[in-house]
Amino acid sequence: MTWTAMNWTLAVPELVLACCGMGILVFGVLSKRETFQLCSMLTIGAFLLTGVLVLPGAYGVGYSGLFTSDAFSAFVKLLVLVAAALCVVVSLDYNEHVNLRRFEFPVLMLFCTVGMMLMASASNLMTMYVGTELMSLAIYVLAAFARDELRSAEAGLKYFVLGALASGLMLYGISLVYGFSGSMAFDKLAEALADPASASPGLVVGIVFIVAGLAFKVSAVPFHMWTPDVYEGAPTSITAFLGTAPKVAPMALLVRAMATPFGQLLVQWQQLIVLVSIASMLLGSLAAIGQRNIKRLMAYSSIGHMGYVLIGLAAGSVDGIRGVLIYLVTYVFMNVGTFACILAMRRRGKMLEGISDLAGLGRTDPAMALAFAVFMFGMAGIPPLSGFWGKYFIFSAAVQQGMWTLAVIGVLTSVVGAYYYINIVKVMYFDAPEEAFDPRPASLSFVAAVGGLFTTFFFVFPAPVVAAAEAAAKVLFR
Amino acid sequence: MLAVGLGHYLTVAALLLVLGIFGIFLNRKNVIVILMSIELILLAVNINLVAFSAVHGDLAGQVLAMFVLTVAAAEAAIGLAIVVIYFRNRGSIQVEDVNLMKG
Amino acid sequence: MIATLAFYVFAVILLVSASMVVSARNPVHSVLFLILTFFNAAALFLLAGAEFLAMILVIVYVGAVAVLFLFVVMMLDVNFAQLREGFQRYLPVGATIGVVLLVELFMVLGGWKFAPEAASLRFAPVTPGVHNTAQLGRLLYTDYFLLFQASGLVLLVAMIGAIVLTLRDKGDGRRQDISRQLARTAADTLVMVDVATGAGMKDVGILRPKVAEPEPVAAAHDHGHGGHH
Repeated sequence: MTWTAMNWTLAVPELVLACCGMGILVFGVLSKRETFQLCSMLTIGAFLLTGVLVLPGAYGVGYSGLFTSDAFSAFVKLLVLVAAALCVVVSLDYNEHVNLRRFEFPVLMLFCTVGMMLMASASNLMTMYVGTELMSLAIYVLAAFARDELRSAEAGLKYFVLGALASGLMLYGISLVYGFSGSMAFDKLAEALADPASASPGLVVGIVFIVAGLAFKVSAVPFHMWTPDVYEGAPTSITAFLGTAPKVAPMALLVRAMATPFGQLLVQWQQLIVLVSIASMLLGSLAAIGQRNIKRLMAYSSIGHMGYVLIGLAAGSVDGIRGVLIYLVTYVFMNVGTFACILAMRRRGKMLEGISDLAGLGRTDPAMALAFAVFMFGMAGIPPLSGFWGKYFIFSAAVQQGMWTLAVIGVLTSVVGAYYYINIVKVMYFDAPEEAFDPRPASLSFVAAVGGLFTTFFFVFPAPVVAAAEAAAKVLFR
Repeated sequence: MLAVGLGHYLTVAALLLVLGIFGIFLNRKNVIVILMSIELILLAVNINLVAFSAVHGDLAGQVLAMFVLTVAAAEAAIGLAIVVIYFRNRGSIQVEDVNLMKG
Repeated sequence: MIATLAFYVFAVILLVSASMVVSARNPVHSVLFLILTFFNAAALFLLAGAEFLAMILVIVYVGAVAVLFLFVVMMLDVNFAQLREGFQRYLPVGATIGVVLLVELFMVLGGWKFAPEAASLRFAPVTPGVHNTAQLGRLLYTDYFLLFQASGLVLLVAMIGAIVLTLRDKGDGRRQDISRQLARTAADTLVMVDVATGAGMKDVGILRPKVAEPEPVAAAHDHGHGGHH
């Protein structure tokens, strides 16, 4: 054990972000006045600074193999940082409005992001566990953040109980994998499992438990039951956050865990992922149809989207993983933008969540209706919006691997899903207008514009994202 | 190498895990008992880790068990805090009131 | 042989008390059984040679987490009618747990100390001759330093979370402000009045608080020093 083996400089972005978080925390505690806005600005600054530190790409293995920095982790970290920063922007006005202006809010989001960055870099089951817990614990608190509201407390309680159960099961899986293979390091596991025949039943059970735990975090069927309730009950700014970064990081971790240490056991876990993927797509598209609450609808929509993403993982090829990453990028921007619009649904100071409240938005607020329509068409996968390209890369990867059934089911459920997305557009443009919403705050307009522009013009400049995703995916298949 | 055999430890851990999961799903009285069931699950994991660690002659399992203890303490603190605010809003911590499976 | 016997005893008690945690009607009983479960798990850890973890389990879990549970159980949903039925209700359970713990302690202290094969029954440590705690410490602060830091962050998040969710500062709490106390002088609080000989309170301008009504008593209490009304 020498200091060179430590290689701690690889983790400088995480260290800087964590130190910024502690600094902001101390500042917030010591200042006499409520400093929510200021601390949020500082947090956004910390995210940007960390993003700049991630960009140069110092790659390697550090901390005696616990921590890996490569193109894949850098890609995921940048996406997570962008998503988290946009979510802090989105929360600026909402939290002020619903009386959640407490500086702990951005601080908790920051520590949650540190956890997600650890997950992106995890190359050991232990790092994976600690990173996941750092993320989850912060989210449990954030979901219950509106502590005087029963709905929020109930959402926090549900999420906590089921989330803790999921981490317990994941941990049990980790212990089985450790026991039956003798190591927790990804590279050593890959060596030990180079021969698929050597995989004992105990090991396979362990992998199933790990997949179950991570599937819970990304809310894939059959571990989705918390999603609608938590999405509905949590403060909306947290719902926006829940749908983006905390989906990206566990998905990336699932991809890395399946591709690197268990890559040789593809046949063992492929069927499992295929089943989870199909079930998620079906439930996401069918259960969303009857929803009246837009937050619940977004919950089912996110379940469906995770189903599509899992197709890319099930393909188990470089193209599949590339598709996963591209899909996640497009999904994050569409989702943040949609929630920026949902947060702007406010009439005479009262927050609205019903789909029917959007009636006639096309006449009362054409700009917001246009942005909302772009996101809905994007999520439905209508070309040339970014959502279409995400699905295109995923489905083509599945077809390349000969997984026709999966691709066909994906296309069919997209068509069914398009029904409820387009239904929202119909409500906005063809239903009789209601009273106009309150004027939008600039922060929400900004985020909606960013998301809308990205979604609309992704097809003009897909090359950098696709190239980066390809480079990231190749890392996992060396 | 194990005085009583690895299988015994794994059996105890598995039984404990099952008890914990039972506690979560069959409990209809009290949310706090659910939190205790989660502690039982983590304890089961720790027994597994310690047993494997002894069999392999490798301390990684014990180190992870230590982190699990740390995280479990943090989890208990947050869980109880959430239960407290739920109680303040609801006036009860009956599981029936939470309707976990509405979705 | 002794190790096998001890394992079975501890394992059986562990499982029985764990099932009691889940099935006990009274949450206080559940917490007590949880403590018993942790003690037995610590014994199993000892049998497997994980001494440090066993001690941590007893200290952290029984000492902190289980007591935290007990606090919250008592704070929230205590069925007071049931509680008032008396101490005796808890006595049998408490006594049973206590006796079991005591017996176990005797077994650990007595049986293990004198068993000649005890040392050889322990699993081979990774580095022979180095204490388990020392080995763990060396690993923790070198190879696993990243996770050590990360679990520090986890605890920080837990602390922020518990405070942000439950602390209610309505601003009406009475806090000690030391600088204000020290800055007070006698001139702020005392009024010196020259009283003519034989003059009553009325003549001086200081009224006695009326004792009969409750409100003026409180008022008199608040302005106790001044007397300037």
